[in-house]
Amino acid sequence: MWEVIKFELTYRSRRPATYVYFGILFFMCFMAAWTDVVSIGGATGKVYENSPTVIANMMIIVSAFGLFITSAIMGVPVVRDFEHNTASMLFTTPMNKMQYLSGRFVGSFVVLLFVYGGMILGFATGHGLNLLKGDEDLTTFHLWWYIHPFINLIIPNLIIQAAIFFAGGALTKRMLTVYTQGVLMLVLYLVAMNLSGSLDDRELGAYFDPFGYRALQYDTQYWTIAMKNSQLPALTGTLLLNRLVWVGLSILGIAATFRFFSFSQSKKRKQKAGRKVTTTGALARNVADKLSIPQVTLHKGLGTRWGQVFSLAGFYCRWMFKQLPFLFIVLAGICLMFVGALNFNEMYGVHTYPTTYSVLELIGGFTFFFVIICVFYSGELIWKERDVKMHLIYDAMPFPEWVSITGKFMGFMLTHGILLFVLMLSGMLIQALYGYFDFEIGVYVSTLYTETFARLILFTLLGFFIQVMVNQKFVGHAVFISFFIIMEVLGTLGLEHSLFQVMGANIGSFSDMNAYGHFVPRFSWFTVYYMGFGLALYIAAVVLSVRGADTLMRVRFKVGKMRLTKPLLSMGIFFVLLFTLSGCYIFYNTNVLNSYQTSDDREKVQAEYERTLKKYEWMNQPKIVEVAADVELYPYERDFDVKGHYIIKNKGEEAITDIHVQAAADNELTTRVEFDRAFGLKESFGDFRYNIYSLEEALAPGDSMRMDFTLRFNTDGFTEGRGSTNVVFNGTFFNSSVFPGFGYAADFEIGDDDTRRDNDLPERARMPERTDARATSINLFGDDADRIRFEMTIGTAPDQIAVAPGYLQKEWEDNGRKYYHYKMDAPMVNFYSVLSARYEVKRDTWLSPKGDKINLEVYYHKDHAYNLDNMMEGMKQSLGYYWKNFSPYQYRQVRVLEFPRYASFAQSFANTIPYSESMGFIMEMDEDDIDMPFYITAHEVAHQWWGHQVTDAPVQGGTMLTETMSQYSALMVMREQYGELRMRDFMEFEMDRYLRGRATESKKEEPLAQVEGQGYIRYRKGSVIMYCFQDFVSEDSVNAALRRYLDRWAYSSGEYPTTLDLIAEFEKVTPDSLSYLIDDLFNDITLYENRTKEASYEQLADGRYKVNLSLEAKKYKADSLGNEVEVPFEDWLDVGVLGKDEEGKETILYLQKHKISAGETTVEVIVDEEPKKAGIDPLLKFIDRNPDDNTKAPEKKESA
Amino acid sequence: MELVIRNLSKTYPNGVQALKDVNLHIPVGMFGLLGPNGAGKSSLMRTIATLQEPDAGSITLGDIDVLKEKERVREILGYLPQEFGVYPKVNAEDLLNHLAVLKGITNKGERKDLVETLLHKTNLYNDRRKNLGGYSGGMKQRFGIAQALLSNPKLIIVDEPTAGLDPAERNRFLNLLSELGENTVVILSTHIVEDVKELCSEMAIINKGEVLLTGNPLQSIASIEGKIWKKQIEKEELEGYRNEMQVISDRLIAGKPVIHVLSEEQPAGFVHVEADLEDVYFSQIMGVAAAEREMVAG
Repeated sequence: MWEVIKFELTYRSRRPATYVYFGILFFMCFMAAWTDVVSIGGATGKVYENSPTVIANMMIIVSAFGLFITSAIMGVPVVRDFEHNTASMLFTTPMNKMQYLSGRFVGSFVVLLFVYGGMILGFATGHGLNLLKGDEDLTTFHLWWYIHPFINLIIPNLIIQAAIFFAGGALTKRMLTVYTQGVLMLVLYLVAMNLSGSLDDRELGAYFDPFGYRALQYDTQYWTIAMKNSQLPALTGTLLLNRLVWVGLSILGIAATFRFFSFSQSKKRKQKAGRKVTTTGALARNVADKLSIPQVTLHKGLGTRWGQVFSLAGFYCRWMFKQLPFLFIVLAGICLMFVGALNFNEMYGVHTYPTTYSVLELIGGFTFFFVIICVFYSGELIWKERDVKMHLIYDAMPFPEWVSITGKFMGFMLTHGILLFVLMLSGMLIQALYGYFDFEIGVYVSTLYTETFARLILFTLLGFFIQVMVNQKFVGHAVFISFFIIMEVLGTLGLEHSLFQVMGANIGSFSDMNAYGHFVPRFSWFTVYYMGFGLALYIAAVVLSVRGADTLMRVRFKVGKMRLTKPLLSMGIFFVLLFTLSGCYIFYNTNVLNSYQTSDDREKVQAEYERTLKKYEWMNQPKIVEVAADVELYPYERDFDVKGHYIIKNKGEEAITDIHVQAAADNELTTRVEFDRAFGLKESFGDFRYNIYSLEEALAPGDSMRMDFTLRFNTDGFTEGRGSTNVVFNGTFFNSSVFPGFGYAADFEIGDDDTRRDNDLPERARMPERTDARATSINLFGDDADRIRFEMTIGTAPDQIAVAPGYLQKEWEDNGRKYYHYKMDAPMVNFYSVLSARYEVKRDTWLSPKGDKINLEVYYHKDHAYNLDNMMEGMKQSLGYYWKNFSPYQYRQVRVLEFPRYASFAQSFANTIPYSESMGFIMEMDEDDIDMPFYITAHEVAHQWWGHQVTDAPVQGGTMLTETMSQYSALMVMREQYGELRMRDFMEFEMDRYLRGRATESKKEEPLAQVEGQGYIRYRKGSVIMYCFQDFVSEDSVNAALRRYLDRWAYSSGEYPTTLDLIAEFEKVTPDSLSYLIDDLFNDITLYENRTKEASYEQLADGRYKVNLSLEAKKYKADSLGNEVEVPFEDWLDVGVLGKDEEGKETILYLQKHKISAGETTVEVIVDEEPKKAGIDPLLKFIDRNPDDNTKAPEKKESA
Repeated sequence: MELVIRNLSKTYPNGVQALKDVNLHIPVGMFGLLGPNGAGKSSLMRTIATLQEPDAGSITLGDIDVLKEKERVREILGYLPQEFGVYPKVNAEDLLNHLAVLKGITNKGERKDLVETLLHKTNLYNDRRKNLGGYSGGMKQRFGIAQALLSNPKLIIVDEPTAGLDPAERNRFLNLLSELGENTVVILSTHIVEDVKELCSEMAIINKGEVLLTGNPLQSIASIEGKIWKKQIEKEELEGYRNEMQVISDRLIAGKPVIHVLSEEQPAGFVHVEADLEDVYFSQIMGVAAAEREMVAG
């Protein structure tokens, strides 16, 4: 055996491939560690780039990508002996199977370890160099942090991959088997990734992943920044189980190899088959000898040529569908799609309807498999005749080169076409399985057979070109894959423009409302451009393709010159022209008619803006007190004009002579302003659209004046990206941000610290503190206004309805256009929207406690009528609850309006709530689901109070006052509707999203009262905290506090509340015994680690049940980086016992607060029914990283 | 129609000179190309079959410039390479039909007749529905012959066609070729001397890329008639004879070598044998070898 190992090692040490693999891994890892050009799951925010978790993650990712290297090293040793026919010689030597196999395996594995050593070296060198440079994103260098994950994670991974590939190669003696295994492993990984998207299946997914990445992610999912920076991920928990499962499987594989491997050639079977063929009798021979060969006519017209092309195409297509690996890849891709369909488009466990476009996004996941198919089968097709050694026969046939290559190309296209059809059918099947039968075949066809098919054509042309030029199949594969990597790298190097990204054009997202809208021309031109490129390469491939025995490039060029016939040459020139001219036209559209900026350019402008104009922040500028505008919308031209005016007032103490007008930065927009008195342009910063006008007659404190403005939004041609979606054919939605504002806009500054550093800007606080006097004098809608009077007339296309805040005053038609005049009769915040679409309207009314009629309206796309009742119900219930518990509703109308899914949020404007079509209009509600449309509506309606009645200051904690309060309000409405137990499901989702959110925090986690806008805090943690708070101090008390807060702050002007004001009210309603809650919940980051250690029960003589619980509780306080300190405590916590009713639904048998302190506590409870679950904090009121162990199914004990 | 090859040379990138200034006139009829393995036969045939570019020289077939008008050559060409494979999962009839389409036989009826006839002719008709993967070496070779005869070729190039055929099949195939040879240029490369003698009106012997001899096989035999002598000797004596005389061949008969020598006069102990084409062949090949040996020795 030692001899075999030695042979393997000597052999490999002489193969350049070994060093190439080592080099690839080293270089890739080095680049990833050293630069941003290559990124492999690196660090974000405050997590160090060389922290143990980041290194472990990167290593695992590399070992997954390295699959191809592993398969080449481990799959090949036995296959090699068979392919080179050395097998028959080897196997006659007195060496047994055991020695042979283990020798080959061990030898190759040692090589594999060497190759992966390149990874450690790469990462360590890259990080080391950056440390020497003094990079602040890194911490002290620890060699152990590289070696520990290598031993714990990478070596098991290598063993697993090695065993599986070795077994595949040895047992089938074909490399394709090995590749197929590789694809299978990737598919399993993708399945695992898919499962991890859902809270319930995440753990299951962790076991599926053959690389252990998902398991590692699962184990560290709630790790804080501090933990990530210091702790080595250990081989425990889910990860350990995952490793055991997979190592077990691979040991089985090895065992199978030793058992079933056979020395004899696999070709034996073929010979057997050969023997079956009978030899013909003498009779037939005599007949044959007399036959003369008939004369035939040879045709060579263009018709014949195309006939030949199609004959070849059919031939190759049939061949493809007979290829097992091909079928396997396809099957794997489709399986993955179905797995993905299990929980796609899910929110809180609720599905949206499987609309065609969402299923198409699912089908988009198949792209990965198309890439694999294109890479491998473009090689197979180009090499097909040579692989079976039939090329000399083929090449001597009388047809031009283009016929054979076009035959292959068309065969591949036919295959792709059939695959797309299969995908379409699978998509429909998925829809049907969900009980959705509204198949939009047009949408399927217009996506799959345009965007996808065009991309496949491009990939295939590229693949053919590469294979022809490189003329070595496996090198061709590598070149093709490198091409995809280069495209990625080009993007990060600043060549972001789609003209450089030869990946096929993107048709953009489909919206039921707006279909593909204005994306179509852009898509079409880019498609023409790429096709020109691909076809030009194709002509080159035809001319230079190998025919016959000559493979020297020099000879191929010589022969190519002869092949370059006039038609071929003119086609080549045509395609080159098509490519360059369409490129020019695209450039004209994207960079001349429209402006194009790379993300670096954009950042530079932002940085320059800050450097130049920051000095004007906080200077006294007028406030808008009235907005009146006539908006002329031309949705089908994607243009609009605005004529309007502001009444502006000097609310400061000094006179204003210079007015700083900040126009919106949209490239399509031109803004012009005029004042009601003489003025001049003092200074203009064109790049920033920032103009300083000086008034001849200053605006005295307390005085008002009028500013007129005209806006022209003009769409020309198409843009590089998807362009502005402000005005679209159907579903226009934009807000007041296109209107001019005053003074420096801090919003425009770069927020991300890393990017700021790159642009030589100092770090900045994400938000001002709550005590900042200037910041609390303005509200969250900006410093341009306190509250405004508002009036707007919108003209739009005759088939559309246009809506703005306010009440409809008048509606008329003029000059073939529809006009709508809206006016708000009470002051509102300076935040308004303009919407226009072909709407259907559902109307209802709700009677307020005062007897006022409140009009309820839902404006929806005609096919989206699914959840209108839930929304109506949401409006009614929430208006009822808020009116009763907070204050009366300030308007006489609530309108919900649908807009296209270019954005996926819902937003509350005064009496107007635009709602993305993806957000609730197409959710499919099951009886047991959380009613999302109801909940979202309740949340948005709550903003009419939290945001519109009381408007907070843009400081730390501000979003707690808007978003958290709206969450709380919606939760209370939901609880009234659905009961307490259903809220636990919701809390479970919220808790998970909070915990995962804080694990990926980029700067610092603040307590709820100082939240800096992070979604995971303001919504997710907010829900949990407020639900807990009301549970402890009672809903009535919380509402009483909110009422007082509203009383004090509603409609404030020039002075705005912060969380200090709200929490002060909360304190007033909190009993002394619970006063610790204020800090625990709002001012600190507090986590519990609650656990039920033991639970048992016995039936008492009276038929009741006695439940004995042994509980354990710990409480931690965390700092902004997640460093935790355990704290002693004696707090009230829920102890509960749950049972089941006849229908199998959970019921609460017992739920009481018990005083519990750190450590163990035992509790005894007597309940009336049989307990099914019991434990501590069963309804998840407190933040806990392991909510699953809070309860346990109690063991039954025989009563004494 | 005559195939004329002038000054054809080819050197491979690895330095092997496959063809050295080859000149040949090949008339209608069967033309035998004799030579040992690696003599350059296949290179020459591939070049004529438009599958390889020479470094220098020209080839014309009637009015066709073979090196420039490849398309025209391919239209009238039937080519059977020395080594070839087939798609294992396709049956003979389908593949032949497919190849016929590629030849340009677009008429379905014509194609069907042709394919059927050729399957009969090559004795594959009964196995026409079987996958080629299951064919024996001989059957595969016959399939190769069938495809070379698609489209009534005017130029047939067959490279070692009888390899792997049993004697009966070989006869049938050679008969078929000679039938075609009546109005077609047929170039047959082989290292089996018998084939050439039986069939070819013209032949060439090439070795190491050089044409050593061209002409009619019978005339070639006549040219050495009376100069071939044989003797049975002991094994150990072989080396001595080789050094002293022009030994053109040796073969074992009943365990003892029998040598043929080329000599104007009868050497002592040798008996006269009637010259054979094989003797011509060996005298050419060995002649060169001997000349080389002398050069090295000298």
